[in-house]
Amino acid sequence: MATPNEKPVNIFGAKLTRRDLVKAGGALFVGFGVAGAVWKTQVTAASSNNSLDAKLPGSWIEIHPDSTILIRTGKNDFGQSTTFTAYRQIVAEELNTTFEAITTVVVGDTDRTPDGGGVFDLLGGGTPNIRKAAAYTYQALLDLAAERLGVPKSQISVKDGIVSGGGKSMSYGELVKGQHLKLTIPVTGNLTSLMGLTVTGNPPMKPVSQYTIIGKSFKNSVIISKVTAKEQWITDVRLPGMLHGRMVHPKTLGSKLVSVGQIDKTRFPNAQVVVKGNLVGVVAATEWEAIQAVQQVATATKWTDWKGLPGNANLFSYLRKEADWKSAPVAKSDKSKGEMAPALAAGVKKLTATYEMPFMKHAPIGPTMAVADARPDGTVYIHTHNQNPQALRGELALMLGVGIEKVVVRTYPGSGHYGRSNGGNAGAEDEAVLLSQAVGKPVRVQWMRPEDFQWSTQSPAAFSDVEIALDASGKMMAYQVDHYMPAMQDDRPVGAVLAGLPTMPAPDVNAPPDSIGTTANGIQDPWVYDGVPVLMERGHGTFQVGQKASPLAIGMRDHSMRTPGQYQQNFPRELAISEAAALAGADAIQFRIDHAKEDRVIGVLKAVRDESGWETRVSPHAKRVSTGSVPVRGRGVSAMFRSGTYWACVCEISVVPETGAITVEKYTIAVDPGIVVNPLQLKRQVEGGAVMGISHALLEEAKFDESGITSSDWRSYPILKMGDVPAIKVVLLNRPEVGRYGGGSEAANALAAPAIAAALHDATGKIARRLPLRPEYVQALLKV
Amino acid sequence: MSTIMVNGVRREVQSPPDTPLLYVLRNDLELSSPQFGCGMAQCGSCSVLLDGKEIRSCITPLSAAANKEITTLEGLPARWAKQKGLSVADAATTLHPIQDAWIEEQTPLCGICQSGMMIKATELLERVASPTTAEIKEAFTTSGPSAHLCRCGSYTAIMEAVHRAAGAMAKGR
Repeated sequence: MATPNEKPVNIFGAKLTRRDLVKAGGALFVGFGVAGAVWKTQVTAASSNNSLDAKLPGSWIEIHPDSTILIRTGKNDFGQSTTFTAYRQIVAEELNTTFEAITTVVVGDTDRTPDGGGVFDLLGGGTPNIRKAAAYTYQALLDLAAERLGVPKSQISVKDGIVSGGGKSMSYGELVKGQHLKLTIPVTGNLTSLMGLTVTGNPPMKPVSQYTIIGKSFKNSVIISKVTAKEQWITDVRLPGMLHGRMVHPKTLGSKLVSVGQIDKTRFPNAQVVVKGNLVGVVAATEWEAIQAVQQVATATKWTDWKGLPGNANLFSYLRKEADWKSAPVAKSDKSKGEMAPALAAGVKKLTATYEMPFMKHAPIGPTMAVADARPDGTVYIHTHNQNPQALRGELALMLGVGIEKVVVRTYPGSGHYGRSNGGNAGAEDEAVLLSQAVGKPVRVQWMRPEDFQWSTQSPAAFSDVEIALDASGKMMAYQVDHYMPAMQDDRPVGAVLAGLPTMPAPDVNAPPDSIGTTANGIQDPWVYDGVPVLMERGHGTFQVGQKASPLAIGMRDHSMRTPGQYQQNFPRELAISEAAALAGADAIQFRIDHAKEDRVIGVLKAVRDESGWETRVSPHAKRVSTGSVPVRGRGVSAMFRSGTYWACVCEISVVPETGAITVEKYTIAVDPGIVVNPLQLKRQVEGGAVMGISHALLEEAKFDESGITSSDWRSYPILKMGDVPAIKVVLLNRPEVGRYGGGSEAANALAAPAIAAALHDATGKIARRLPLRPEYVQALLKV
Repeated sequence: MSTIMVNGVRREVQSPPDTPLLYVLRNDLELSSPQFGCGMAQCGSCSVLLDGKEIRSCITPLSAAANKEITTLEGLPARWAKQKGLSVADAATTLHPIQDAWIEEQTPLCGICQSGMMIKATELLERVASPTTAEIKEAFTTSGPSAHLCRCGSYTAIMEAVHRAAGAMAKGR
């Protein structure tokens, strides 16, 4: 194994190396316990199957004789910083040691981390796997200390990694040196599934009142290595003999290969074409040769034509009238209650409206790439930046027809892609493996910018029908919504599909038990207005657009994207609630508060009202204007509950009616995650989500015609630029009494759209129920 | 064979003269801070300084860099040390104030765009010692071949880091 060079990072005096196991000669040491000397026993069973045993605490946490600590997690960093900050804080807290004592965090690699699962909900509802592993380990340490110090466990105290009792003290390092520890951690689940393994049981956890590390803004060590150009990015991985690969993807999302272009050997003497089914790639010794050669080959390659997509202009008519919403079971939310028909009939005022959300791209700044090393002995090493390495391992093993022990996934920092690979592949990995296998050398496959727009998955388009009935006092008597969205999670590696190799099934009614690759559409947006007496929330699902028509079974492949599904359901809900408030003649924040019952829902709404300087009044504004060239201002609000965290945001906008151009001038967001683990990192996450959300709301729509996606670059798929960023105010509500920490990396990107649309209504009196709010759409809307 | 000056060092490279500078830096010279983003000068993740001016290495042929001084993120500490006349010993342990500010503000999220962002910040702060927020926005949005794009949405953190770096540079450190 040619392992890339180590790049140790000096952080706060501690040497932090994320891959320092390699220094032990490339062997894996799995501790039968937490103790230093014990690791010298190599667990052969574990290393031969290229997995760690998640039941062994040493697979999660190592305490070294010098009292430094290493932790391992299958969760990578995708810019959230959680694994390098919050996880260290949580483990340090549970172990009663210092943040600095945790000097090494090993992430993602399938042969070096125990649990797998996708990189989302990293705080795991307040108890991520690593927290429980630490809590179990702490109990074992207390047992060991009682034995060594000769006092009962109840008389042991621990501070900063020093155990004391009976008048004696020793460090964790001294305590574990040469000791055996008999402890097995209970785990459940499927390693290569979406969720991976889960640590179970209920070890004692440190009371929140005793926290000293959680709540502080520790810095992310990886930021230092990134800023000083010392990080080893996935883009930097070079293996001996490695060739550069580029793909020739089919002409359309349903085209089959007719004939492959030949390489002009006079121009590209070192390039070679690889063909497997409909998969075509080019490899060459240098990157520039590969880039030029693939263009020449692509021009000369012939494909069948295909037209089977409705195209942008007809999308919602197609979804409404032609898509099959009958075959998948209809989902109903747990909170649905009451008799809808009489409640709607009794309404004094009614809102009936349809909301439409477009396809959007994950749109990483760096197009997907990976380096594969398919070796003669049948093992495959794949180097990638991936949100679910164990699931990728399973997919590659399935494609190759081998056991997972033959596949090792190594992970590196790379371009964030916001959910695209949480089910196992980002796009290039399987193609790199097939090219490497074909040429017998390591191959680096890099997608070019247009491919990343046109051959990756996307966030599915959706529409929702809402009906709201108000009583004579302006209160909501009934709320009904029907959400319609094609399948959201297609984890089939596209190269395997093109090559005609085995993959999981395309999304279908009968999805495998471990998969969420179903055509059913669940309710993703938890209801927060419990004061509404009659509620019905239904989810309707169908096949992906073009999936059944495409001869390749490809079509518009969808995938979860930041705040998946909930984005598509929260926009209709929150805009409809703002519309209902206007219909009721009520202030939009007070209207929400009046229909909420949970303290934390009311708390975030009040916080965002206070912090934004919100003026309590009815929308639209008395001075609303929908014509002219003078900018007119408005404000709107939205709210959400996601992953244990309550959110509310206020957007203040200006719009020029004549052009339809919207500027978000100020964005205020209140966040109640319960316990705030790391205020600075949470603030940065929320700011980033806010910016992405404004981008979604104002700009983003994947364009497509009858054959495929036509958005191909940053001009045809623009995202928000710095010049369009408003003043962003993040209000963190730390509520230790909640006793849990909620997620912070999602949700913020969903809140902007309904708040901006409500602000447009406030400013102009006109309601835009379709995203994105691009000038041409807003301009046309205001002319009506 | 071409000869170029990178981060104050003369380097000889074998790549054909039409090779984009990005691949020369990354693959021939293993200076991997400029990242491939679009290959079309639309995003700024591949930015380097060419005689102090930010350019997009993905569309700049090697031949266009001849006889010019290239600076990458790797070269920022030495560039600062030279500008400030620091001793060799001090220079070896010094980061550019822009790098310090990026760390202090915890600016990067995924970070793939941040090398280009720091290069743009260097160009700006060498030209305008104490830019306003509007000037920072202008620099990162309209001053170059395209806006510098960040998909993670770190723009606010970048603006805060540029202000911090400007303050530090004004003080000489």
